[in-house]
Amino acid sequence: MIWKESYKIGVKEVDEQHKELFKRLNSFIKTVRNDEDDKETKRKKVAETLEFMGDYVDEHFSDEEELQKKYDYPDYDKHHEIHEKFKSEVKEFAEKFKENEYDEEFAMEFSGRLLTWLINHVADTDQKIGEHINKVKEERGEK
Amino acid sequence: MDVTYLNPILDATNNVFDTMMGVETERGDVKLREEISTDNEANVIIGLTGDIEGSIVYSFSKEIALNIVNEMAGMEIDEIDKFVTSAIGEMANIISGKAATGLAEKNYKCNIAPPQTVVGKDTKISTGTDNILSVKLNTKMGNFQVNFSMVKN
Repeated sequence: MIWKESYKIGVKEVDEQHKELFKRLNSFIKTVRNDEDDKETKRKKVAETLEFMGDYVDEHFSDEEELQKKYDYPDYDKHHEIHEKFKSEVKEFAEKFKENEYDEEFAMEFSGRLLTWLINHVADTDQKIGEHINKVKEERGEK
Repeated sequence: MDVTYLNPILDATNNVFDTMMGVETERGDVKLREEISTDNEANVIIGLTGDIEGSIVYSFSKEIALNIVNEMAGMEIDEIDKFVTSAIGEMANIISGKAATGLAEKNYKCNIAPPQTVVGKDTKISTGTDNILSVKLNTKMGNFQVNFSMVKN
């Protein structure tokens, strides 16, 4: 995945985590799209990179929400709901993925959607958090 | 045909291209059509219900569909596969969500349905009306069309 400077929200800890999230989703997508391994090896690798990404999604969302609370972000509830919905989609995919045989179409469909979703979430939705936090930091004399 | 709802949709399209890819969309030819048959390879249909009923059909050439996905993913994908249609479908979904917000600001309340993708040229898409406005959009990544077929309730 390509990280662009314009995706930054202007809050260092969040931007660093977004970069890491891009890296982890990237390795998941690369694994899904790799056709060199046999089915069983691929299945294992996809499960690993999915878990690696999913763990970080949880960690990052929770850190970001803490920051939102610390700076009284007015859209906290709505943003929290978006995060929860996303987390449950990842979880749902992980469960279905465990149950069934490796389903190429299913994994491709999920990872393609994830790619666009994450870029838009960081490049658009999260920008408002950055604006708010930086405004409050100034008001509180933290900047 | 009432076109007051056109701008929110075109603005949303431009906004998403700009934010996600740093690319401007430039409005090209506008045509009235009686039916939509896909002129391009990667097509996404989004249904609208509410104060305005109808559909938005985004029709991407193979060139722009692959350019968009390769730009986002940092990969060299050369065929329209499930990953590509899904990524493009989500993009159309995001654009339409923003368009719905823009329409609400003009007092049209609408809900959007999940994206459906159709791959391949010359497939007829049934939209329920014979009054379709088709706008060509040019970008440096390639061209695409946004088709609207809508009736006000």
